Order: sequence, then structure tokens, then C-alpha cells
Amino acid sequence: MSLLVLDTLTKSFGGLSAVDDLSLAVRAGEIFALIGPNGAGKSTTFNLISGLLAPDRGRIFFDGADITRTPPHSRAHLGVGRTFQLMQPFHAMTVRENVMVGELFGHTVLKSLPAARRDAEEICESVGLGHLLDRGVTALGLADLKRLEIARALATHPRLLLLDEVMAGLTPTEARQAVASIQGIRARGVTILLIDHVMSSVRDLAERVAVLNFGRKIAEGTFETVAHDPAVIEAYLGQDEADGSH
Amino acid sequence: MTGRALVRGGLLLAVLAAVVVLPLWVNRTQPYYLQLSINVLIFATLALSWDILARTGQLSLAHAAFYGLGAYTSVLLTTRAGLPIVAGMAAGAVVAVVAAVLLGVLTLRLRGIYFAIATLAFSETLRVITNQVRFTGAATGLVAPPLLGGHRPSQYLVILTILLALTLVSWWVNRSRWHFAFTAIRANEEVAAVMGVDVVRFKVLAFAISALFAGITGAFYAHVFLFISPLEAYSLAVSVGALVAPIFGGLYTTAGPLVGAVVLRAGEEVLRSTVQRGYPIIYGFLLAAVILYMPGGLAGVWASLAARIPRPARRGARGEPAGS
Amino acid sequence: MLIFGVLRSGLYSLTSVGLALSVGVIGIVNFAHGEFLMLGAFLGYWLFVSYGVDPLAAIPIGAAAIFLLGGAVYQLSIRRVLRAPELNQMLLTFGLSIFLQNLAIILWTGDPRVATVSYKAEALAVGPFTLGVPQLVVFGLAMALTIGLYAVLGGTRVGKAMRAVAQNRLGASLLGIDVDRIYLLAFGLSTALAGIAGMMITLQLSVSPFIGLLYTLKAFAIMVIAGLGNINGVIYASLVLGLSEAFVEFYVPQGGGWAEGVFFFLILVVLLVRPRGLFR
Repeated sequence: MSLLVLDTLTKSFGGLSAVDDLSLAVRAGEIFALIGPNGAGKSTTFNLISGLLAPDRGRIFFDGADITRTPPHSRAHLGVGRTFQLMQPFHAMTVRENVMVGELFGHTVLKSLPAARRDAEEICESVGLGHLLDRGVTALGLADLKRLEIARALATHPRLLLLDEVMAGLTPTEARQAVASIQGIRARGVTILLIDHVMSSVRDLAERVAVLNFGRKIAEGTFETVAHDPAVIEAYLGQDEADGSH
Repeated sequence: MTGRALVRGGLLLAVLAAVVVLPLWVNRTQPYYLQLSINVLIFATLALSWDILARTGQLSLAHAAFYGLGAYTSVLLTTRAGLPIVAGMAAGAVVAVVAAVLLGVLTLRLRGIYFAIATLAFSETLRVITNQVRFTGAATGLVAPPLLGGHRPSQYLVILTILLALTLVSWWVNRSRWHFAFTAIRANEEVAAVMGVDVVRFKVLAFAISALFAGITGAFYAHVFLFISPLEAYSLAVSVGALVAPIFGGLYTTAGPLVGAVVLRAGEEVLRSTVQRGYPIIYGFLLAAVILYMPGGLAGVWASLAARIPRPARRGARGEPAGS
Repeated sequence: MLIFGVLRSGLYSLTSVGLALSVGVIGIVNFAHGEFLMLGAFLGYWLFVSYGVDPLAAIPIGAAAIFLLGGAVYQLSIRRVLRAPELNQMLLTFGLSIFLQNLAIILWTGDPRVATVSYKAEALAVGPFTLGVPQLVVFGLAMALTIGLYAVLGGTRVGKAMRAVAQNRLGASLLGIDVDRIYLLAFGLSTALAGIAGMMITLQLSVSPFIGLLYTLKAFAIMVIAGLGNINGVIYASLVLGLSEAFVEFYVPQGGGWAEGVFFFLILVVLLVRPRGLFR
């Protein structure tokens, strides 16, 4: 049973297509990875799924329902949660208050402030932020900011969690912790779609992988099959050129 | 209830008693001060209602628009349709809210400086229209019937009640789930939306609440000063004052805009008696000085003073520049 | 009507191109821009009344004075908020605007003043139209200065440095451009252009402390129409504003009063329909 289905999704900016005719199905309970060179359209895909962008063409189904025109906050209520690649904590709020926003607004259960506070603290504990509850977010380091991103997304009680480069910039130890943490989240029944450049983590985590290049899906399958696909190798080898050109 | 809460409650009651009784008492010998108190409360209501909108990240230059709409609606309905003044004031508030919801929806996509310029344009467009249309008295203005037969002490109690209601609303907003929605939207609308906050609803709601109080205050002003003109009712000075007081006192708090309004108006009075003209210079000076040297305003200064006093039981919550 | 609109747009471009310079190069949306214009106008008036200097002849002195004043304001205030949130920058310049306007009211009262130069009422017959000499002179000078500024930006070392800074602050500093000095220069120049526009106003209209805000707002309207920070679009956008105002004045009953609102209406419509501006 597919939890998320993208049907011929297309989005272009000023004539340049960022996502081109993309179709994809993520099964309930799996960890699915979206990889590809920089500028391949991965983050745009996330923005389309979470509702921050509207597609030019194509449709998005979540749990069988068409959510193509559903506003972002309603998608959160349905169970679509996400993190941001460039961490976007709410300044002027503590770690606990950041997570409380998700507990208060991210799902359809109406929670009192004390209940939301308690549940937010629990989530912070679970991702290893328990000792930083009262900290302002400006005082956090990179690894803790990434944890906060995950904690906030978890606070919306997602059924599908979109993780946008939560490993980037972490030390190997921190990355291993993150892998374990993500596996723990899946074990609790959350489906995970992730973008990452850290290939060892993708290999360890993902049951299936799709590769994007210039907005098009060029391969899909297990990590091993995809890694040996000539089109994929070509796309990654060509990356240096593509990087140099912009 | 802890001892500190008791002390706080007692202080609050004392302040409340003082603002009710003092101006009325002074009025017996010095009516000027009652007039001044009414002015201060009008200013404070505008400042605090502006701040509620600002809590969603919308720094508006259109507060005069709602003030003016409230004033003109009420005066037109009472003089031309013969409505009682109370009904006129209520209608003024309603019209202001409708306009605010419209403007709020139209400017949803605009951020920062674009939002500020668009709101200013909205307010000035209303002024130009009012200035041209004969029905609204054009440039000459309109004469308004007096509220409560012009009895100043009663009028004072009316604006005090309005301000107290607003203060309660503001206090509640800052202690409820709304506070989390507003602060999240102010920090980053997209992230707030993805975390389930209905951004459009809260932004428009903030606009509506803000305009409700600005509108009713505008209507009150008209029926107390008995005359309105486009230049005064839609005056840029109203929008400026409503924004400088919270910035000076401390943004996004309940106490900040109130204290800011009182201190500014007092300073203006002193200047008014010394330089006679050009006294709004104090707004310009303070605005620049606060931005340059005092981010966080009076509330920020207060918080950093409080932080210097060692207090072991102090909870370490950091975040908003000051308490509400 | 067309000609009146076009003539008016000269002064508008001169005012707005200064503001566009500040926005484009420094990234500061200067709410006090019009106050420098107002100060220039008072300077022109004062030089004329006290010393009999023709406002046009006084332009070099006035431009230099306002340039220095603008530079001082930059050093004392603007420089400190370059990295602050955009809204703080806006509020600071807003404060500056209120400050300068009221300072002028304290110094010179709010009464409007008129400088009557000898050729004020002179008119020239061009075909079927009679056009005021001051209007023609102002239009010519304003256009020459605006185009001169384009030439400076396009052709000189300083101008190229400014454009480099406008495009990429960090990149420019890596190229060895002293960004802070360029900012100072750009702000001084921006205010000087406003000051010159102010001195030209002395020729045709009355001078009062309140004119500053009006011109700030009109310059905003032009910038919004052109697209914020787009220096090249300013001339076209000025034409749009000048022509729309003239159109309203001529074809709408009691058009004088309505024309006052044209630019606000334009701001609203452009921001709501096409927030990035018409000319990019």
C-alpha cells in the first residue's frame, strides 16, 4: 500500500524545470531515499509534497487522497511532517517552545498548553535535546539544530516524515547516532522519505532509492542496483561540470 | 499562589485603582489633566492594538486607516442616519475590521518593507478619497455629536474600559496557544505552516483584532473632540505614534506599548510647552535612538537590569525580550 | 497634457534615481530621502532670499552641502544598521525622516515659502502649447543629471565599483573594492541628488517642511513600479507616474485633489499584482 504517490509532477521556475514529470510511490512503513547531484530538484520535490510550492502539472496523493491543492498546514494535520535543509528554528523561542508549536498545531488533537509542554519535553528527550529545553536556539550547535529540526517535525505526529539532509555536516559519530535515531522513528510506524548526500547513511537506511537528475527520475531500486546504473554514474560524474557552470 | 504572585496582584490592583480614581479626582481642580489622560489612553490603545498585529510579523504603517475609518463611519452614521452614538461606535469598529480583513488578505504575500509601503499606500489612499468626496465633508471635515453629553469623567471611563479590554486580550494572546502561532509566524511563515499553523487565519485574525480596537478608538476620539478631518483622522502621525510607542516600550509585550505610550506622551507634553511646534521630533529621535542603542526598548533595558540582580530561583527561560 | 506629464517626470526621475541608488547599492530603503530634498529646497530658498543667488546657479554649492550632510548621517547612523534586520533599517530611516521634518518645522516654522525668480512667470510658445520656462529648465537639467548618473555608473571606475558592490558585496570586497567607502559615497550621492531636486523645486513651487514626505512617497511609488533597487527602470517608471498624474488632473473633475492619490493607488496596485515591479 502506497502512503505517498507523486503522479507526473512538474514544476519550473522561469522556464527552467526544477522537477520534470516525476512519478514516485512511497510504501507505508519504508525508508525511501531521494538522491541526486546538486540542483537535481530534490528540495523542490519536498516543497511540493509539503505544500510550500504548487506544481505546474501533476498530482500528489497522500494515503489515497488527492492533496495537490491542500494548503501546507492541512497537510501537516493529515500527517506530512518535514525538516528543512537550512535549519529554520524560531528565534525568540526556546528549544521547548519550538517543539511545542508542533504539538499545539501540527495535528488534529487539541492539546492544552501543559499537555503540549509535557509531550514536547518527551520528544526532546527522545532525540537527545533533554538537557537544552530552556536554551534559546541561537545558542545551539549544528548537530543540536538538526536534532531540533527532527524534534519539531516529530511533534506534529507525522505518518510520513520528510528529512532534508539531516546528516550533512555531522561528524561520523553524530551521523551514526542520527541513523539509529531515524531507524527508531521508523520502528514506531513512521514512513520516511529522505534526501541526503552522505551515501554511507543512505545505504544503511534506505530500502529503496530514487535518483534525480535535472528534475527527472533516472533510476529507482535498491541502493546496490542504483549505484551500478550507468545513467546514475554518468550523472554523478557530470556533477563537477554542472557545478562549475553556475 | 506564591508570595510574589500576591505582591504582583496587589500592585496591579493598586495601579488599576489609581488610573480609575486619580484623573477623576484631579479633574475637580485641573480639568486639563483629565483631557490629557484621555489623550494618553487613546494613544496607549492605538499602540497596544498595533503591537498585537506586529506579533505576527506584520509591521503596519496603516493604523491610522482603521482609526480614521472608525471615526468617519461613526460620525456619518450618527449625523446622517441618526444612529445612537454607541451604535455608531460599534459600526465604526465593524467597518474597520472589514477593511482590515480585506487589506490583510490582499497583503498576505507581502513581506517586510513591501508590506509597510503597501499599508502606508492604503492608509493614504483612504485619506485622499475622504478628502475629495463631498459626502464625507471633504477637506473641511465633519462635526461630531458628543459622547455622553460631553461629560469628560464618563468619557474617561469609557476609553479606560476599552483599554482594559484590550489589555486583557493582549495578555491572553501572549499566554495562550495563540502566542506560539504568532511568534512562529513572525519567525518564519513557511516553517510555521509546515508545522500545522494556519498562517492565513492567524495573520488575518491579528489584523481584525488590531483594527477592532483602532476603529472603536477612532470613533471615540471623534465623539470626544467633536470634529474630524481627513488630515487628522488619517494622519500619518497616528500611524507613527502607534508604532513608535511599542518599539520604544518593548515590542510584542503587553506592558511595553502601554508604558511606551505613557512615557512618550508625557515627553511630548513637556516638549509641547517648550518648543511649541515640531515637538513630534521626539518620536523621530527616540525611534532612531532605540534602533541604534536600545534594541528591545524599555522592556529590554528592564530585562537586562533584572538579569544583573542575582536571583537563584529565576527560571532560565530565554526568548522574548521581556516578560509580558 | 502629455507634455505636462513628461515635464513633471524629469524631477521625479532625479529624486527617485537617488533613492534607487541607495536601495540598489547599499540595500537601504531610505524613508528620509525626501527630507534631504526638503533641506535642499530650503537651502536654495535661503541662498536666493539672503544673497540673491539664483537657485540653479547655487546647485553646485547645495549639492556639496547635502552630500556632506548625507555622508555624516550615513557615518552616524546608517552604517550601524547595515547588517541589522531590514525592518530595523526601515524604522531607523523613518525616525530620521520624522526628526529632520520636525527640526525644519522648529527652525523655519511650517509655513510655505515662495522664491520668486525673475523668469518664474515666463513662458515659451512651443507649437500650440505654452510652457513655463522654469518647468522646461528643470526638466532639462533633471534629465541631464539622471542620464549623467547612468553614464557615471556605466563608464567610470567609481561607477563600476558601485555596480559591483550592488551585485555582490562580498565579491566586490574580494576584488579589493573598499565597500564601506563605496556605501558612504553612494549614500552621499543619493542624498545630494535629492538635494538638487529640492533646489529645483524652489524654482516652481513653494517650500515647506512637509514636502519631504510627499516626495519620499512618490519616489517609493516610482521604485515600486520600476522594481525595488532597479536603477535603470526609474526613468520609465517616472514617466508612468508623471503621465498618470497629468491624466487624472486633466480628465477627472476636481482632478487636482485626486492626482494627489494617484501614486498611492499605483503603489497598491503594483504591489498587489506584480510585487517585483513592471520594468524588469
